[in-house]
Amino acid sequence: MTDSLIEVRALRKEYRSGVRRPPITALDGIDFTVRAGELFGLLGPNGAGKTTTVKIVLGLTAPTDGTAFVGGLPVGNPESRRRVGYLPEGHKIPGYLTARQAMTIFGRMSGMSTDDIKTRIPELLERVRLPQWADVRVKKFSKGMTQRLGLACALIHRPNVLLLDEPTDGVDPVGRREIRDLLRDEAAQHGTAVLLNSHLLSEIELTCDRVAVLRNGKVAAEGTIDELTRKSAKYKMVATPIDEPLVAMFRESGAGVERVNGHLVLSVDDVAHLNALLDGLRARGGMLSELAPVRSTLEDVFVDLVKATEQQL
Amino acid sequence: MKVLWANIEDVWREAAARWTLIAYFLLSTIFIIIFASAINLDIVDGALAGAKLFGKEVEMHGNEVSIEKIVLGFESGFSAVLYFLCTFLAIFATAHLVPRLQEKGTIDLYLSRPVSRTKLLLSRYFAGLLLAGSNVLYLLGSIWLVVVWKTHVVNYRFLLGGGVILFVIATLLAFAFLIGVITSSTAVSIMASCGLFLFSGMLVAHDRIAAAVSHEWQATVIQTLYWVIPKTAELGAAVFAFVSANSFSTGIELKPSPFITTAAFGLVSMMLAIWRFHKKEF
Repeated sequence: MTDSLIEVRALRKEYRSGVRRPPITALDGIDFTVRAGELFGLLGPNGAGKTTTVKIVLGLTAPTDGTAFVGGLPVGNPESRRRVGYLPEGHKIPGYLTARQAMTIFGRMSGMSTDDIKTRIPELLERVRLPQWADVRVKKFSKGMTQRLGLACALIHRPNVLLLDEPTDGVDPVGRREIRDLLRDEAAQHGTAVLLNSHLLSEIELTCDRVAVLRNGKVAAEGTIDELTRKSAKYKMVATPIDEPLVAMFRESGAGVERVNGHLVLSVDDVAHLNALLDGLRARGGMLSELAPVRSTLEDVFVDLVKATEQQL
Repeated sequence: MKVLWANIEDVWREAAARWTLIAYFLLSTIFIIIFASAINLDIVDGALAGAKLFGKEVEMHGNEVSIEKIVLGFESGFSAVLYFLCTFLAIFATAHLVPRLQEKGTIDLYLSRPVSRTKLLLSRYFAGLLLAGSNVLYLLGSIWLVVVWKTHVVNYRFLLGGGVILFVIATLLAFAFLIGVITSSTAVSIMASCGLFLFSGMLVAHDRIAAAVSHEWQATVIQTLYWVIPKTAELGAAVFAFVSANSFSTGIELKPSPFITTAAFGLVSMMLAIWRFHKKEF
């Protein structure tokens, strides 16, 4: 028995592009799982297949091949969406409804009772900082407010799976932080599995526990943020003296050396190589005061992966 | 049931917010007021001694005419007018229901709920039918009350004629849903539904048209079309005959087959709409 709430196996999706034209492959056999209480980020450049993946998981689009399960149920079964909350990118909550009416309608469509909806609405509007807007028509809302209301609508029926497509789009920095906190709360307190689809890498980095990077319909990398950003063998070295002979010696050993604000950034092959450089420093009577691995940002990892895939093509 | 209520609420709120509901009922109210003020009857001892319609004296030829008969005539005539009015108003008020639902950013919100596509489309259909039905009830009910108020004659058949009108609306709404699912266009849904209504009305003369065409296959097409599409002319005549209790002739022979083939058309349209909606990728 697994605690995976979203399970995607060998998922393929091809779109017909017209008569006598080859189909376009949007997804080319992707696999991933999202466990209860986990915040999982789906990254990728435009057209990588992120939205297609989410739409298949929601049953909005049928896969060409492969399977996807939500809460153990195949995504073709409407019951798989019983505990799923979804916030689509560029969603259009009907502008003629008030926040309360929109939440009531979507709550009813999720099978909630009127009493349950009535107690849930003020609680959620409070959480998304819209309590005073409950009876105002959505067409009067700013983009950020609409986005926060969308999140409230997605959460109305207490889902245990949340699928969010660019949830912080148009939201101010304070609002972004609140949304991040809200998602972390949902995951930690209710064991909600969150699948976050975004091209805002900093958001993913700040929010998610684990990510998958999609490129040309395939998973180009998958792991925790820590695993992905630690792969680079770069180290920051603060030592005295840092002079030209030392730098020349490091370069002769095959290391990459950059001078940055009075310290060195060394690119080495492995830990043995790093230790050899340290031995060289000490042999010259140098004093080491700081040595720390330089972590890549998720953006660095992402750009490197995209470039590497482009070179392969 | 919760899904149906959610859709009814959504459809009615949208109709109210977009002025459709107000325009729908305002047009109906104008018609009712014109009707109420246009009829002036002079009733003496339960018989009609004189009548004015739209300010014009109705010729009585010096005879007293039974008030029941004149009311039956009024109501039958108006039921035929209401048949067209109600049907066209219903098409205009409901044709947007599927195209708006299928808009990007909206459909995802609805389909991400634990509701099958069949249930979603049928809930939307019944919500639209309820909107149209309420207008039929309002129009017919108000005119019936005006007639009762002015003549004290109660003819329940006039109210029941609304059932046939609603049946035609239900058929055309199913067709509008099919076109809406395929094209996602409100304008095309309206054009197709109105076109179907008028074209099928012309086909009441299918035998004469078939006899007039120059090729056998053309005649076959005309006859096939007649049997396939709704029989709006026959059903209009049925409304008239039903309200007048067959007191007046329309020149159209009334049989059950127009009801059966029209119902079959509506049912097939709805089934095709559901099938296409299921297959559609959003």
